[in-house]
Formats: sequence, structure tokens, C-alpha cells
Amino acid sequence: MSKSTEAKQVESQQQLEQLRSLILGKNSHVVTDAIQKEARTIVGEVLSEALHDRQKKDGSVNKVLLPIVENAVEDSVAHNSDRLVNSLYPLMGSLVRKSVTAFLTDFMEKTNQLIDSSLTFKGLTWRIKAWQAGVKFSQYVASQTFVYRVEHVFLIHRETGLLLNSVNFNNTAKSDADLISSMLTAINDFVGDSFLDNEDGLKEQLETVTTDNFTLLIKPGPNALVVAAVTGKPPQKVSDKLQIILESIHSLYASELMQFNGDNEAFVTAENLLRDCLLAEQKTTEPKNNKTPWFAWLAVLFFIIILGFQTVKWWENQVLNDKLMTLDHESGVVINHIEVQDHNKVVLDILRDPDAISVSDWLQKNDLTIEQLSLTERLYHSLDLEILNTRAQRILLEYPEITMMWHSKILHLSGTLAVLKSAKLLSALTAAGFTLERNLIIEDIKPPFANEAITSKAIKAQIFKDLVGRISTIQLEFPVASADVTPSMQLTLQQLYQYFHQLNQLADQLDLNVGLVIIGCSDNSGSIAKNTLLSRQRGENTGDALNLLGLSKAQMYVTGLGQIDIMKVKNNARKVIFNVLYVSNDEKTNNEM
Amino acid sequence: MIQKKICLLGASSVGKTSLVKQFVEGIFNEKYLTTIGVKIDKKVVTLENNSLQFMLWDIEGNDRYNAFQERYLRGASAYIIVADQTRTTSLIEGLEIHSLARKVAKCPAILAINKSDLQPSWHWEDKGLEDYNDLFDLHFYTSAKTGANVDNMFIELAKLLQES
Repeated sequence: MSKSTEAKQVESQQQLEQLRSLILGKNSHVVTDAIQKEARTIVGEVLSEALHDRQKKDGSVNKVLLPIVENAVEDSVAHNSDRLVNSLYPLMGSLVRKSVTAFLTDFMEKTNQLIDSSLTFKGLTWRIKAWQAGVKFSQYVASQTFVYRVEHVFLIHRETGLLLNSVNFNNTAKSDADLISSMLTAINDFVGDSFLDNEDGLKEQLETVTTDNFTLLIKPGPNALVVAAVTGKPPQKVSDKLQIILESIHSLYASELMQFNGDNEAFVTAENLLRDCLLAEQKTTEPKNNKTPWFAWLAVLFFIIILGFQTVKWWENQVLNDKLMTLDHESGVVINHIEVQDHNKVVLDILRDPDAISVSDWLQKNDLTIEQLSLTERLYHSLDLEILNTRAQRILLEYPEITMMWHSKILHLSGTLAVLKSAKLLSALTAAGFTLERNLIIEDIKPPFANEAITSKAIKAQIFKDLVGRISTIQLEFPVASADVTPSMQLTLQQLYQYFHQLNQLADQLDLNVGLVIIGCSDNSGSIAKNTLLSRQRGENTGDALNLLGLSKAQMYVTGLGQIDIMKVKNNARKVIFNVLYVSNDEKTNNEM
Repeated sequence: MIQKKICLLGASSVGKTSLVKQFVEGIFNEKYLTTIGVKIDKKVVTLENNSLQFMLWDIEGNDRYNAFQERYLRGASAYIIVADQTRTTSLIEGLEIHSLARKVAKCPAILAINKSDLQPSWHWEDKGLEDYNDLFDLHFYTSAKTGANVDNMFIELAKLLQES
């Protein structure tokens, strides 16, 4: 630059100073004082417009006013709470109502979301996939629901790497923001120092770090970094937003950043700015396919038909089973096992008295048709009243002169019948399950002719001998070394008792006294003394059994013969034999008949 | 809360990581794992009137293969030079690191002579720490194994930082 040009500039400046002094003179303060006096009016007139214009221009008025208003409200709450309460009182009711409504709406939405994500097929699939991927369910849902979502935003002091503030999408800080910010700074320092400086002579900076679940977007500024942890694919607008917020923070907190000494209290108000970065974009849901799922409906229909068919079948089987069970109520029939496999296939296992109704008759009587009846029938001797009645009727068919009548479950027979026939009838009834005095009374059966009574003595004597003979043929056969009376022996003894009872009646009529001799025997195995004892025991047990049936001990004599040394029988002579001893009442003669 | 960045520097295997582990978690592990790069932990130190949160930068040890890197020292409020009293060379290496660190960080420096539970080397015992009083703001004999003087060192450091 030439000297003449410099001189010209100096000259023009001097001239400007002269002009100032000419207009304002030495008393320039007069002008400034005048302006100051009117400053309030001047600023007051344009204040609203100026705030409006600046807010419209870059939105900075809000950011500047926000901490001031917050502090003012805080002060007001702390020191003038009454005034604040009085002012807010008219609003409280509607505020509470709105808050409750908002809470309930939010609660319902969250419940719906929970049900959607927990109970639907989609929700279950997501849960399984999240488990397979080893990520939290909420993270997986976010990744499926959002194209991207800014989960965390950190504001970090560049020099120290200390965290100034941080915000989270769900307000639930799971990670340690302090450590993350420090480590990020360390990594950034490492990158900056490890790589060669770029063309502009600046150190390399990390701008993006990608992990399995997050993309970290890093915006470095001169004094602070803003870092956003984003799930999904972040678009450019997230990066732009971070840049704008970073610039705002540098402009609003310039002095605080410069003088930062570790106290992050000054940056609490930066939360609102950081919250602006919590952007998200939801995925557009795929249009639902409104085609009617015929196949699915057919499958459901088929399933319902099968289910209905099975239910009806089961119900029919149950009804048939109940009907068949009534067979058990029939006299002389006992059901052991019943299984209805199908309506046409029945497995039936029963006990049946020969005089009871047959199964086929019963089925016919009840209008039941079973195509495949697997019947297992075993016969038994029933003592049901109805069966006894049937048997008695059948026996009495041969005795038309006898009438029968049931009274208190006891069969009363009456009529006229020859003595021999009477004995035969009694024998038949005994075999059919009747026992004198217990369920049979025959005292009303009388001999048919008067002269028979006269001539009957010889006949009675003959019957008497016949009965004595029958009793003498009865033998009880015992097992080896046993003296116990078995159930089959009981039946024989019952028969014997019946005979002896008749014998007693005849003896009265024939003026005879009778006694039953019970003789126990044994085979030749074992010692003689033991065999004697055993034979005696067999006799006594038999006597006891007869006594229980009603035979007086005064009419019996029990003895034991020991072993019977007769060559041909001695090996199997484990028996009790009977004999009748009868004597005339005429003691003088005392002859055996 | 006020946070302070504290760096631990020193030669390899002097016990920097063990000191941090003892201070933060209260445990000691005999197993030696060398630190690569830097490992950061934090702990709140409560004083009478105030609480400080220490961000502890445990920086990899320096030896002939791994030169001192100043990058991690930026913004530190203090640094601790750790030496091993069973190895005199570790103190010499620590002093070298200290002189390098001083060039980039004008913050309080502390000397921690670690492994005080073991027998010191003869030279160490004769000389003591008196010569280094002027070089460091504070110095301590510590044992990461027994925990001796570890908490005390950090509390004293917190007091020092609070005063400054």
C-alpha cells in the first residue's frame, strides 16, 4: 500500500471526528442521556414485535426464556406457593379430570399393546425371535415397529469427556451414561491421535459407530459433543437435528462450556433441547390381506364337525352303558365288567343264575340292539327271592295239590300230600336253596287219607330206615392233616341236618329216640397218637358245625377212631362218617329196630 | 453433581487396575491382565460438605514397547503416578511419565507407591519418598491387595480438588 493512500485514510477519519464533534459537540452525553430517558418507551414499543420476529427467525427466544421461566416458577412455588395455589385453584378440578382421563387412556393403550404383543401370534413370534437373537423383547419390538428411533442422546464435554446431560426415549436409563460418554471420548481421542490429520490439518473424528443394536451418531463441536444412540436406520434428518441442537447449545451455553469445572448443574436446562432429538418414525403397517381365509375356515368347520361327532358318540355310549348297567338290577344277574367300545361293540362279563333272565331276552325286552356283543357268562346259584320263587314254582308244578304263599320272605306250603311225596318235595326244595324254619315252612302239608294215619306206621318206619340209610352213606372227606370243615362240607352237613330233622319227626311218631354218632377217622400217615387226635378233632369240628345248623349236642356223640388199618382204605381214610343210633322208648325191651 | 476426571499412569504391572478395582469394587484379584488402551470406572466420593464423582481413567502401562500417550490426559482434574515398591525401576519410569505429563496437564499430581504389603527393594528403603515431595502434591504408600491407604488416597485427593 502506498503512503499517499494511507495519508488519505487518516485524513478521512479525522474529518469524520470533526463532523461528530460539530454535530454532537463535547456534550454528546446529552444525546445519550436523552435516549436513555426514552429507552423504556422506545424498547417497550417494539419489544413484543422484536421477540416475535426473533422467535420466528431462529426459535432462540423460547430456548432463552425457558430456563428463566422455569426458575421463576420454581421461585414462585418455593416462596409464594399460596398465591400460585389461589391462581391455579379454579383450574385444578379440570386439570385433575384431564390427568385422570389421560392416565386411563394411556393405561388402556398400554394394556392393549401388552395384550397385542403378548397374546397374539405376532407377539409370540417376536418374543421367540428376540430370545433367539439374545436381545430384550422391548428392543426387538422397537426394531420391528420403528424404521428408526433415537433411544438415547448424550451431551458430552469435549475436553474432559464428562457427561453434561442425557435423555432417554422411555425415561428409563438402563445403561451408564457417565461411562459411555467417557469411553466414547477415549475412543474419539484414540482415533484422532492414531490417524493422520486430514487435509485441513484437523484431527480425524468419529462420526458414526455401529453396534449390533445401535448406531451411534456423533456430532463434535468445539467444546461439546452430542451423541445419539439410534435403533434402525437413522435418516439424514436425525443428523441435521443433532447439528442444529449442538449449535444451539454452543450459543446458549458458551460461557458455561468454557468455564466447565466438572459441575454439570448448569446444563440441566439443556434437557429440553436434547429431547428435541428423540425422533422416531413408525413403520407403515402392511395393508392387511382381506381375502377370506377359506381354507382356515374349512379346517375350523371340519374340526367342529369331528368334535361334535365325537361328543355325540361319547354321549350315546354313555347312555347305552347306563342302560346296560340296569341289567345288574335283575334278580340272579351280577355284572362283573362292562365296556362300551362303540354303540355296536360291547364287552360284557356277568354271573347269571340259570333261572334268571338270559341276556338276549333282556336286550330284546329293553329294545336294545347290539351287533357285536362279547359276552362272558358264568353260572352261579342265586338266593334272590325272585329266583327262589321261580324255582319253587317249577318244583311245585309236579305237586298241583300243594299251594304256596310267601309271607315275610318265608315260603309257606300247604295242602295234602302223601308222606313219601312230602319227603321228596322237601328234598327237592332243599336242593333249590330252601331251608326249613329259615325260609320254608311245610307244617301245613297233611297226609291225604285218614286210614293212611293208621297204616302209616309201617310206611313211616320204612321212611325212617331210608333216612337212617341216607345219613349213613354221608361221608366228609378231609385233606391231609386237616380237620377244618370246608364250605363244600357245609352243604353236605346242611343236607344231613335236613335228613336228621325229618328223622326226629318220624322218631316222635314211631316212639323212638335217635342219636347221631359222628366218627372221625384218619389215614395211616403220621404217628398213631397224632392220628387219633386228628380223627377226634375232625369229629368234633363236624359236630360243632352241625350244632351251628341247629342240631342239639345232646343228640350227637362224637368219637375218633384214629387210623383205620384196613389195607385197602387206610391210605385215604381221612373221613368223618355218620351213623344213627335209635332205640325204642320201651326201656324194658330196648331192642333195636 | 461435580465430576472429576482422574487418570492413573505408571509403568506396566505396577497395580493401576488393581488400585481402581479395590477402590471401586473393594476386591482384589491375583490374576494379572494387562490393560489395553484405557478402562474407565466411576465412583462417588463423599466428603463432609460435598460429593464428587470420580471418573477414573485407568490408562495402559508404559514400557519400552508402549510409549506414554498424552491423549487420555486431556481435561484431567488430577493424575496419579503409580509405582511398584518392589521394583525401583518402576519409580524411575513413573517419574519420566510424570515429567511428560506435566507438559500437557497443569493439574495436581499424586504419587502412589503400591504393593506396600510386599518387601520393598533395598534401595527404595534407604532413600524413601522425601526427595519427591516437591514433585507431587500428595504421596501415599498403598496396597491394592490389602486395601491399605487406597480409600484414604482418593479421599485426600477429593479434598485437594475441592479446595482448589
